Amino acid sequence: MLGHYGWRVLKSPIFARVLFPFTMLALWLVSLDTIEKIWPFAIDVLPTPGEVGRFMWNELITETLARRNLYETFWISLRRLLTGFVIAMVVGTIIGLIMGLFRAANAFFHDWTMVLLAMPALAWALFNSLIFGFGDKGPIITVILAGIPFVIVNVREGVRNTPRELFDMARSYQVPRLKTTRHVLFPSLMPFMFAAARYCFSIGWKGLVIAEVFGGQDGAGWTIKFWYDAHRAHGVVGYAAFFVIFAILFERAVFEPISKRTFRWRPNLAGAEIVEEVFDEENTLEDFASVPSSEMIDDNE
Amino acid sequence: MATVTKNETQPTRVTEEELAKRARRKERFQTWFWRLLSYVVVLAIWEYCSGRVLEEALLPGPIRVVETFFDIWDKGKIPSAFQATLTRIGVGFGLSFFIGAFVGILMQSKWWAGFFKDAVLISLAAPGLIWVLITAIIFGNRAIGPTIAIILTTFALVTVNVSEGIKAIPKDLLGMSRAFHIGVVKRNRHIVIPHLAPYLFTGLRFGFSIAWKVTVLTEVFSSSKGIGFEMRISSQLFQMDEFLTWILLFFFFALFLEKVVLEAIEKRYFRWRQAVTAS
Repeated sequence: MLGHYGWRVLKSPIFARVLFPFTMLALWLVSLDTIEKIWPFAIDVLPTPGEVGRFMWNELITETLARRNLYETFWISLRRLLTGFVIAMVVGTIIGLIMGLFRAANAFFHDWTMVLLAMPALAWALFNSLIFGFGDKGPIITVILAGIPFVIVNVREGVRNTPRELFDMARSYQVPRLKTTRHVLFPSLMPFMFAAARYCFSIGWKGLVIAEVFGGQDGAGWTIKFWYDAHRAHGVVGYAAFFVIFAILFERAVFEPISKRTFRWRPNLAGAEIVEEVFDEENTLEDFASVPSSEMIDDNE
Repeated sequence: MATVTKNETQPTRVTEEELAKRARRKERFQTWFWRLLSYVVVLAIWEYCSGRVLEEALLPGPIRVVETFFDIWDKGKIPSAFQATLTRIGVGFGLSFFIGAFVGILMQSKWWAGFFKDAVLISLAAPGLIWVLITAIIFGNRAIGPTIAIILTTFALVTVNVSEGIKAIPKDLLGMSRAFHIGVVKRNRHIVIPHLAPYLFTGLRFGFSIAWKVTVLTEVFSSSKGIGFEMRISSQLFQMDEFLTWILLFFFFALFLEKVVLEAIEKRYFRWRQAVTAS
């Protein structure tokens, strides 16, 4: 009936990938129907796909009931995220370098990095909102605290993976310190810095929205809470979709091109712990395996 | 005479091994010294800041936190809160683990891998908060809400580890099973799953580290008992000492489970195949 070609299409993974959203949509519609019929008290509200779609469209054309439109909201959040991100990167790199270079510093900071790594962003979010009140400060500090341990861990790992021989050679040829740093330490640190940036960004984003829910008066987290408090289920679902789109878009539009440019000179990046092409077509799953990398810090004990 | 010379020469004749051991002992001593120093320094800074840099009501010091712990303990709130939270984690993450593992095993085939690719991608990229809010608004205070939120946040971590393990399955064994016409169930039961065990365990550990955080978050929004609920109440009442006590209490408990219990189990049962354990 279908013919050879038809079967080939049906069996291809790309078709399966396209099928997925439609399956979810069908599941959504079916559950909408069955739950209303069989089990009407099991849920409070279940938004329909139409409602969510209309809501998202209205947001996109900046027709919204919230205080600020979608673009302003995300711009506010992005600004906070970037501020926290830059501070976390700078401070984290310094601490990571010191930890990688000196054994004593490593012993000193190790356990506290672990504590930071495992502390839920919720704790920081609530704590900072109580201490700093509403405003920029609380969310930014949450981003820093959530992101910094990932930077520290990655940079430390990078310093440890710098080939010793190159340093020795630099010393025996009496290359000045600065030059060694520029030409030996930096290039071998780059992939780790990049991984650090990616972790820091995605963890920071997750922490930021929680912080904004509790301690913001604007921003993406605040706005989704706004729809939640207004009891607009379609608003919450729609805004959640924007969150996901934002995270993936940023990854694809910013980190991927930078990574391609920066590492063009390296034919093969085989570092097991380095997360390079997070959303790359082939390696998506493989790379994500190391995302919750509380592992890395333990390896060298 | 002989004994005397022996005693005299003994200290000078230090073997290489002895030297190495001594160096190691010195190193260990230094490590512990710096480690303990860091505890002292951080706790001292914390204690100093409370009441001086920030008001004590805002930042209670470590001593105050310990006192509060005994207060709460005397009130008998701790066991019931822990029970509520742990039950929720157990149910939610238990289901999530099986779903994640199942999806991971399905993803052996290219077709299913394509099908679930975006699901995994979204689950990993999305902040746990959105699932918490969505399920809270849909299900209200019913127990199913948090369960679904935990599943959606953590299943992908298990899936990712499982599919990582699947990539490392010895191809020759699979080829042999094909040559002998072994069925899908039997192949999965005898080759795939035993091979996957360490990866599943790593998935369990990673998943748990995220699961307990999401669980506490769900309790903040849609629950009337548990650690998250207590945290919300104390933060709304501005009782920072209770807030800090609750979060630290559960934090150390979860850290203990994650780092000590699960890692010990992993070391014990998968020592024989350390080489293939997923990192």
